[in-house]
Amino acid sequence: MATAASGAAIEDQGEFYLRYYVGHKGKFGHEFLEFEFRPDGKLRYANNSNYKNDTMIRKEVFVSAAVLRECRRIIAESEIMREDDSNWPEPDKVGRQELEIVMGNEHISFTTSKIGSLIDVQSSKDPEGLRIFYYLIQDLKCFVFSLISLHFKIKPI
Amino acid sequence: MANNDEAVDFEPDMDDLMDDDAVADEAVAPSPAAAAPAPKLRSTITGGDYSGVKKTKGRGFREAEAEADRNSRFAGRDFDSLDSAGGPGPQRSIEGWIVLVTGVHEEAQEDDLQIAFGECGEIKNLHLNLDRRTGFVKGYALIEYENFNEAQAAISTLNGTGLLMQTISVDWAFSNGPFKRRNMRRRSPRGHRSRSPRRRY
Repeated sequence: MATAASGAAIEDQGEFYLRYYVGHKGKFGHEFLEFEFRPDGKLRYANNSNYKNDTMIRKEVFVSAAVLRECRRIIAESEIMREDDSNWPEPDKVGRQELEIVMGNEHISFTTSKIGSLIDVQSSKDPEGLRIFYYLIQDLKCFVFSLISLHFKIKPI
Repeated sequence: MANNDEAVDFEPDMDDLMDDDAVADEAVAPSPAAAAPAPKLRSTITGGDYSGVKKTKGRGFREAEAEADRNSRFAGRDFDSLDSAGGPGPQRSIEGWIVLVTGVHEEAQEDDLQIAFGECGEIKNLHLNLDRRTGFVKGYALIEYENFNEAQAAISTLNGTGLLMQTISVDWAFSNGPFKRRNMRRRSPRGHRSRSPRRRY
C-alpha cells in the first residue's frame, strides 16, 4: 500500500499541523519560542523572553499552500513520524521541547529536554531517533525564521 | 483506505480553536463522543474532536499539565499581523513581495538563483537555507522583490522551469487568508456528508 501511494498523493492528504515549542521557567520568567503551522495556512510565531529588554514577540501570517507543502516535505524526508520519544531524555529544569505533528492519519506529540549539542544526542538512549529530531528542529526553525524575518523584517531570537 | 474519506474537515472556524472557551464549551456540549468506542485525545488543534487520525504516538499525549500550559500560551493573546485585505491571493510583506522556490538542487549556489531570478527584477533578499545535517541546500529558496509585478513575473516565467537539471516550482510565500483545501472537499464522496456538530464558538 505504501508503495502504491505516490509522493504527490501523500502530500495531498490534507491533514497537516505542526507545532514546536522550546522553553524553560527560570529567573527571567517563562522564556520560550514557539511556532505552529495550522491546517488553513496560518503560521503563528511567539518568542517570549524577559531577559534585559523584556521582549515579547507574537506574529501571525497566512502562508501559501506551497509553503505548507514544503514544510510537509521536510518533515516527510526526515522520517520523524517513525520515531518514538519513549527513550528520549525527559523534560527537566533546564528546559523542555515539544514537537507535535499531524500528517496523514498519524499524530505525534513528542517531548524531550533541551539538546545542547550532538554530544547530548550521542549519550542518550536513542541517539538515532534523537539525531533525527535534532536536525529536523533546526531545519524547521531555519525555515520559519526566514519566513518571519522576511515578512515582518524582525530578527527572530 | 476508504476510511480516509471521513478524514477531519478543517473548517474556517478552526481559527477560534485556540480560544480558551474551548474547554468550557466541551463540558456543555452534547458530545457524540459519548457514543464513540475509543477515548478521544485532546490536543491543541483538536479540542478532542479529531476522529480522522488513527495513530498517535508520544509522551505529549499524556501530560495534562503541559497541555494546559500550552493552551494558555496561545489562547486569547494578540498576535501581530500585517494589514490584509483578506480573501485569496498573495499578501505583501513589509518591504516587498516574497516568492518561494522549491525543488532547488542541493548544490545550487546563490549566484544560480541570482542569475535566473534577477531577470525578473532586483532581488532585495535571498534566503537559500542549508540542510543542517548535510550542509547542502535544503531544497527551497525565499526571494524578495520590491514590486508585485516583479514577483508575479518570476512566478509566471520560472515556475516549472529547470535549474541545474531539476524542475523548480515558484509560488507566492504568503497569502491574504486561509487557503481552500480543494482536495479535502473533492475526496468526500457526497457533497454534503454528516459530520460532528458544528462548534458553537
